[in-house]
Amino acid sequence: MPSYHDIQQFLFFEARLMDEHRYDDWLALWAEQAHYFIPAGDDERGINYSIALVNEERPGIEDRIKRLKGGAHYAQDPKSQMSRVVSNVEILEENEGELLVTSTFNLTAYRKSVLDVIAGRTTHRLKLNGAEFRIAAKKVQLATSRGVMTNLTFLV
Amino acid sequence: MNYDMNRDSNPAAIDYGKLVLEDRVHSRIYTDPAIFDEEMDRIFHRGWVYVGHESEIPNRGDFQARNIGRQPVIFIRGDDDEVRVLMNRCTHRAAVVCPHESGNAKRFVCPYHGWAFLNTGGLLGVPHSERYDDGFDKKDYGLRPAPRQAAYRGLMFASLAADGPSLDEHLGPLAKAEIDIAFDLSPAGKIDVSCGTHKYGYAGNWKLQAENSTDGYHLGFLHRSFVEISLQRAGVTTAPDYGANAPYRLRSLGNAHVAWDMSSPAATRWLTGGAAKVPAAQQEYIDSLVAAHGEERAHKMLARGGPHVLIFPNLVFIQTHIRMIRPVAVDRTEVFLYPYRLTDVSDKINGHRFRGHQAFYGPAGGGATDDLEVFERITEGLRATVDPWILIRRGLGQEQIESDGAVTGQFTDELNNRAILHYWRSVMSGEKILGSTRETAI
Ligand code: FES
Ligand SMILES: [Fe+2]
Repeated sequence: MPSYHDIQQFLFFEARLMDEHRYDDWLALWAEQAHYFIPAGDDERGINYSIALVNEERPGIEDRIKRLKGGAHYAQDPKSQMSRVVSNVEILEENEGELLVTSTFNLTAYRKSVLDVIAGRTTHRLKLNGAEFRIAAKKVQLATSRGVMTNLTFLV
Repeated sequence: MNYDMNRDSNPAAIDYGKLVLEDRVHSRIYTDPAIFDEEMDRIFHRGWVYVGHESEIPNRGDFQARNIGRQPVIFIRGDDDEVRVLMNRCTHRAAVVCPHESGNAKRFVCPYHGWAFLNTGGLLGVPHSERYDDGFDKKDYGLRPAPRQAAYRGLMFASLAADGPSLDEHLGPLAKAEIDIAFDLSPAGKIDVSCGTHKYGYAGNWKLQAENSTDGYHLGFLHRSFVEISLQRAGVTTAPDYGANAPYRLRSLGNAHVAWDMSSPAATRWLTGGAAKVPAAQQEYIDSLVAAHGEERAHKMLARGGPHVLIFPNLVFIQTHIRMIRPVAVDRTEVFLYPYRLTDVSDKINGHRFRGHQAFYGPAGGGATDDLEVFERITEGLRATVDPWILIRRGLGQEQIESDGAVTGQFTDELNNRAILHYWRSVMSGEKILGSTRETAI
């Protein structure tokens, strides 16, 4: 099984790809069967009852990347400049080839003279693909999910 | 008790007739704080403003904290099952009594001196009341209700003016018919608005969002990449025509309410998920609408692909959601989107509607974030005042009057902006009382 260090390295690497808008490299981290989920406030009523900020499977994630790469997603023109800290990594579950890992992040984003601070807890379901991790599911619970936001078009 | 909201302002001070012309408007209407103050008084604190839908507060004690213009209110269902709009202000020394965005409460206890109010508004208790004089009577100090409240299909509107035109008159039959589409796309004629909220803020004037909500011209440009990528995904090879030859119409409905009508098979596909995706669910859904509303109306509504209408000044229905526009300052606006479920419609169809909504809307969506970006670019551009004019002339003079009384224009025309801003001019200049007459002139 991978060590705690390996898991941390993976999460830090993913954070760097997101900070640097390395869209294709980030997409390559995802498994073929994937779910990307950012609730808007509560999600206890389930995905057909509660609206989310992001609720996408692999095709939706690919379309998101296509839009960002296409140059006509004006909310990222110019792009946000970002730096995030990922910390408090805990392994919640571990069984053959699959891990459930939770961590927190603190992200500073700067764009067109506006400074945004976004924080939250990310829970990854990671699958081992040989020696590499793939993200099978990722849920991001934003500390600000109930708040008024303008631009969350970068990767979190 | 005097609730008169009219400030001592002088309507002659700003000449609105010089700021809004037939074919153009002046930057100042989006940037001048004095105009914003007058808008609050003459539009938001006098006319009918949308507050919420009753399905957001289904149980006794349920509440949502909302705003009417700049004023905080509580939209609440009392223990007597009545739905009310109460001013969120302690009658003692004005602290808001409800600091929560939503919840359920039997009573509100003001933290400052402990005055306690029932969820019906009445004042229940005053600590150490023996020090008040004999003339003090608790029953005079309940939470103040919004002076007028009225609902259409469970949509609660309130007005802070004690008198004025009725909600019925303000909406008019054409706008009501557009609202009806939202509800009647459920075979039960009902929607459930308690499904969460997308909240945006942008640095810009509230009218930018009101105008944009029925701006057909931008769809084929600003959102082209979103549309193309979504169609590729759906396997659709023929690009839709959102240009000057598109058969779709904008409809001016009176009192600055504006709809767009994009009736087409593509709109139905969007709404129902397309036969390829959920064939059984789609057929079941269509059959249920035919059974409930008859074949003709069912197919007409399905062709629309959902409602699309601005109810001036702060309510919009767009396909999947109710949108509430909240002006905060002349250059700051918040927008709340409430996606709703169609009652008695399967999870497949409602889930499909939600996923479509999520891809485009919300702060992480691929479409509406580009609109917000443009609003902020406009706010910046408005500071360049060598030429201070903004054009609203597309399709001017080419309007048609339909048999139902709606004034219509081609989809990419600026009929929407003219309908809103010309009406705005007549209200702001005092020529017309908000909501008072059927406005057909464009
Ligand atoms: S201000 Fe509310 S009790 Fe005094
Ligand atoms: Fe748009």
